[in-house]
Amino acid sequence: MTHQPHLELVDPTSEAPESTARPAPRPSSLAGGTIGLLSNGKTGTAKLFDHLERMLRDEWGVAEVVRRTKAHYSAPAEDTLMDEAATWSALFAGVGD
Amino acid sequence: MTSALRHRVSDEAEAIAFATKSGWGDGLPIVSPTVERVQACLEWAAMEPTQVIGVEPVKERVLTAEKVAANAVLAGCEPPHFPVVAAAVQAMCAEEYLLHGSSSSTGGCAALVVVNGPIRQQLGMTGTFSVLGGGDQAALVIGRAVRLVIRNLVDVRPGDLDRSTFGHPGKISFCLAEDEDDSAWLPLAQERGIPADGTSAVTVMAASGPRQIMNEWTTSPEDILETFASEIRANMLHYSIWGGNYAVLFAPQLRDKFEAAGWSKADVRQFIFERAQVRRRDWEAVGKGAVVGTSKADKIYRALPTPDHLLVVSAGGPAGGFGMVVPPWLGTGSAAVTVPVGACVDC
Repeated sequence: MTHQPHLELVDPTSEAPESTARPAPRPSSLAGGTIGLLSNGKTGTAKLFDHLERMLRDEWGVAEVVRRTKAHYSAPAEDTLMDEAATWSALFAGVGD
Repeated sequence: MTSALRHRVSDEAEAIAFATKSGWGDGLPIVSPTVERVQACLEWAAMEPTQVIGVEPVKERVLTAEKVAANAVLAGCEPPHFPVVAAAVQAMCAEEYLLHGSSSSTGGCAALVVVNGPIRQQLGMTGTFSVLGGGDQAALVIGRAVRLVIRNLVDVRPGDLDRSTFGHPGKISFCLAEDEDDSAWLPLAQERGIPADGTSAVTVMAASGPRQIMNEWTTSPEDILETFASEIRANMLHYSIWGGNYAVLFAPQLRDKFEAAGWSKADVRQFIFERAQVRRRDWEAVGKGAVVGTSKADKIYRALPTPDHLLVVSAGGPAGGFGMVVPPWLGTGSAAVTVPVGACVDC
């Protein structure tokens, strides 16, 4: 068999394993729960979250709505925020661009 | 021992076609990252393939020497360029640089890379004619390699994670060598803590597009710096009011005035720190009156949180009273980082 010349290329892209993160289980009901609204800090979330908060209270019967804003638009949410979020029933994250 | 995936192709033409089809490039012609070319970079830098150059903190993405070298080859780097690319990538992985946020932001910034030390001369980098505009081939390919690493290894590509509304040409390549040889000023890296013992270094800064200024009608350092400060104030009002790192480049014709007057880089930083400030109500003059408000209208915003936030760089061709202002991506969201070339985080 004739040896076929060839080149080998080093793949320059990431081979990082696919993230194992999965969405949290969907709550069966929001009624009576504590819902967090997390803004990235841009102004576009303000009115949207105002409306969402009214809906959550008036139509979905949540017990409490917590409004929080990240310290920086483009950085991950602070650990203290995520620790607090773990106590909520559900979280809405908004990018107000 | 390598850990990277390999692809077998029959010849160079197929290699280029494969790499292009796989989306490894940036649209410009590429050099195929053959095992031999990648290995040559690693041997030059005395790095093992699996040596960790850095870890992007948000996605916890490990960037190995082999993978960074593959991107350097793609960009057209020769082995001697690779240590500078590796240092720049290492610097960008520092948590304070915020690689993920800065590169995916709608703000559209690029990584400005300033090279200091003897490696400039080894690579034929002068930092003079047409600096930031293709004047140094080494700067061009090093900067391009940095962007390819962001695309290929951090997975930040336009329209995907890269949400830039506008980019700027620095997103293709944004690298320069400081002109240390024709300047009485201390090199940037030494001012930022790199010892003056022949150590080469890179400084990276998440930056918006550069703005050129001109003032060749005075010998007064104060007047010249006022022009720079005015450009910075304009950026604060037109783009972002938030203070952070700014870089300012001085061509020789301007540097001569400062040397004659005995002004150091520290003097330059102090002057611009004091002059580069605006009031919130100044937004009214540029069509942003809607966000001035009443309670904070007289609040003062500084371009520089401290004088040391200003990166002063000697660069540019010999003729013309030109300078450059390179604004930050977004205030202190990202901090400039300086690392020595050849430092190892995994040793």
